Amino acid sequence: MALPIQEVLTGLSLGSRYFLVAIGLSLIFGVLGVLNFAHGALYMIGAYVSLTVAQNVTGSFWVGLVAAGLAVGLLGAIIEMGLIRRVYDRDELDQLILTFALVLVITDLTRTVWGSGNQTMATPELLASNVHFLGTSYPAYRLFVIVVGFAAMGVFWYAIQRTYLGRLVRATSSDRDMAALLGVNVPRLYTGVFFVGSFLAGIGGALAAPMQAFTPALGDQVIINAFVIVVIGGLGSFTGAFVGAMFIGLLQSFGVLIATGVGQLLPFLAMILVLVFRPEGLFGGEGQ
Amino acid sequence: MSDETILGLPARPTALAALAVLVVAPFVLPTFQTYVLSEVLVLALFATGFNLLYGYTGLLSFGHAMFFGGAGYALGIFLRDVAPSLPFGGATPLVAFAIAAVLGVLVATAIAIPVGYLSVRLEEIYFAMLTLSFSMALYTLVNQNYFGVTNGSDGILVLLQTSNLFGFQLSLYDRVTYYFVILLVVAPAMYILWRVSNSPFGLVSEAIRENSERASGLGIDVRRHQWGAFVLSAVFTGIAGVLVAPLHSSLSPGASLHWTISAEPVIMTVFGGPYSFIGPTVGALFYRYIRWGITQFPLLEAHWQLVFGTLILVIVVFAPRGVSGLLKWAVDRVRGNGGESA
Repeated sequence: MALPIQEVLTGLSLGSRYFLVAIGLSLIFGVLGVLNFAHGALYMIGAYVSLTVAQNVTGSFWVGLVAAGLAVGLLGAIIEMGLIRRVYDRDELDQLILTFALVLVITDLTRTVWGSGNQTMATPELLASNVHFLGTSYPAYRLFVIVVGFAAMGVFWYAIQRTYLGRLVRATSSDRDMAALLGVNVPRLYTGVFFVGSFLAGIGGALAAPMQAFTPALGDQVIINAFVIVVIGGLGSFTGAFVGAMFIGLLQSFGVLIATGVGQLLPFLAMILVLVFRPEGLFGGEGQ
Repeated sequence: MSDETILGLPARPTALAALAVLVVAPFVLPTFQTYVLSEVLVLALFATGFNLLYGYTGLLSFGHAMFFGGAGYALGIFLRDVAPSLPFGGATPLVAFAIAAVLGVLVATAIAIPVGYLSVRLEEIYFAMLTLSFSMALYTLVNQNYFGVTNGSDGILVLLQTSNLFGFQLSLYDRVTYYFVILLVVAPAMYILWRVSNSPFGLVSEAIRENSERASGLGIDVRRHQWGAFVLSAVFTGIAGVLVAPLHSSLSPGASLHWTISAEPVIMTVFGGPYSFIGPTVGALFYRYIRWGITQFPLLEAHWQLVFGTLILVIVVFAPRGVSGLLKWAVDRVRGNGGESA
C-alpha cells in the first residue's frame, strides 16, 4: 500500500483551518478569560465576506481574503468594546451565555444578508491546478491552506514569545492587575487581542469558502471541533491548539477510511481519553 | 433561595393556586393554546431540572439535549418496535407508553452516570464544553444512524394509539388528554424538585456553588455530590424528554439532540433567573409565549433568532437575575418591602 499522502495532506489542510479558529479561541480565553462561543460564527462571517468581496466586488480572491480578516477582526473588536467589556467582572458563565446570544444574532443577520441557501466559491486561478509529487497529485489550493496554517503558527509563536507586544500579552494573561499597575493599557490590549483572534477566524473562514459549499450553519460545525481541539490541547495553550488542530484534522481524514461517520466520532473519543488521563489537556496544566 | 416563597409570595398557596389554574385552563383555552401550555409545562420541567445543576450546583451544562433527546428516542424506538407486540389487549397502547416512558428515563440516567462522572472532573467553562462535546457525540451517532434504529437525520415518528379500557376509549394523542398526562407527571416532578432543592442535598449544592473549596473543607465530597446532582438533573430532563416526544409526534437529531436544544434550558433559565427555584419556570413561560407572540408577526418569526439573541444580550447585560428577579422586585415594591433585592 502506498503511503497515505492524500489522507495526511487532507488532514493537515483540515487541521490548518481548525487551527485558525482554535488559536483565536485559545488566545481570547488565555488573555481575557472569556470563552467565545461566537468564534465559529466569526469564522462563518469570514467565508461570506470573502465570497462577496472576491466574487461580486473586486474579483480577486486575495483581496477577499484580507478583507475577510479585517472585517471580522473589526467586528470582534466592536463586540469586545460594546458588549463583552460590560461583563468582565461577572461570572464566566454569564460571558458564555452572552457570546452564545451573539451566535444567534450573527447567524440570523447572516441569513438576512446572504440567504440561508448553499453558497459556493471558485478556487483562485493561481491555485486551481493539481500539484504532482511523490507519485501522487494534490490540489494546490489545499497545499496553500496548509502553508498558511503553519505560517500562522510560526508568526504567532514569534509574536508571542519574541516581541514586546507578545510579552505584554503574556504578562496580562498571567496577572491582569499587576500588568495594569505597570502601565499596560489593559482594555486596549483586550480589544487588540479580540481583534487578532477574530482576524484569524475570518482568515480561516475565507480559506474554507472555496473548499466546500457552505451555509450560515458553517460556524456550528467548526466551533464544536474547535472546542474539542482546545480541550485536547489545553485551553490557553497555543502549542496545544496547533497540535490539537492537526491531530483532529488527521483523525477525521483517516477516520473516513475506516467507515463513514467514524471521522466525525473519533475526535470526541480522543477528547474523552484526554479528559480521563490528562484533564488539563496535553499542553495545558501550568495553572490556567 | 431556600426560603419558602415564590416570587416573594408564600410558596404553598401560590403553588396550589397555579395548579388550580393549570387544571381549569384546558377547559377554557382553545386547543392550540392547550398545546402551547403543554409545551410550557414540559419546558418548565426541562429548565428546572437543568437549573438543579446550574443555579444550585453552579455547573453550566451545554449538553442537556443528550438526556432530553436521548430519553425521547428510547421512548420512540420502543413504541415503534416493541409496543405492537405487547400482550395487554386493549390497554396495550397505554401500558406501552408507560413502559416506554420509564425506559426513556432509564436511558437518560444510563447516559448521565458515565458522562457525569467524567464531566464533573472539570469545572466551569471546561465542564460546559465537555457536556457540549458529549451531547454532540450522541448527536453524531444518531445522525449517522450508528445504532441502526434511529433512522439517521430523518428521525422517527412518535405516535400514540387509542387504548380500549373495558369499552372506554382513551386517546392519549388527544390534545387535552395528553395535556393532563403531562400535568400529572410534571406537577409531582416539580414538587420533588422543590423538595430536593430545599433539602440538605440542595443546601450542599449551593455551598459547592458558592465555594467548592470551603465545602470540601467541611467534609463534603464535592465531585461525588456534583455527580449526584448531574444524574438527578438528567433524570428530570429525561422525564421532560419522554413527555415532549409524543407531544411533537416526531424526533430528529436536529430537533431533539442538536446543541441548540441544549441551549433552550440555558436561555429559559437566563430569562427567568437562575438563583431561585421558580426562575426557570418563569423563564419557560416567557420563552414559549414570546415564541408564540413572535409567530403572530411574520417579520419577527423570520428573525426569531435575532429577537431571542437580542433579548438574551439585554437580560445578561442589564438584568442578571432575569425576569423573575424583576418580578420579585416588583412584588416587593408593591408590598412595601423596599426593592433592593432585584
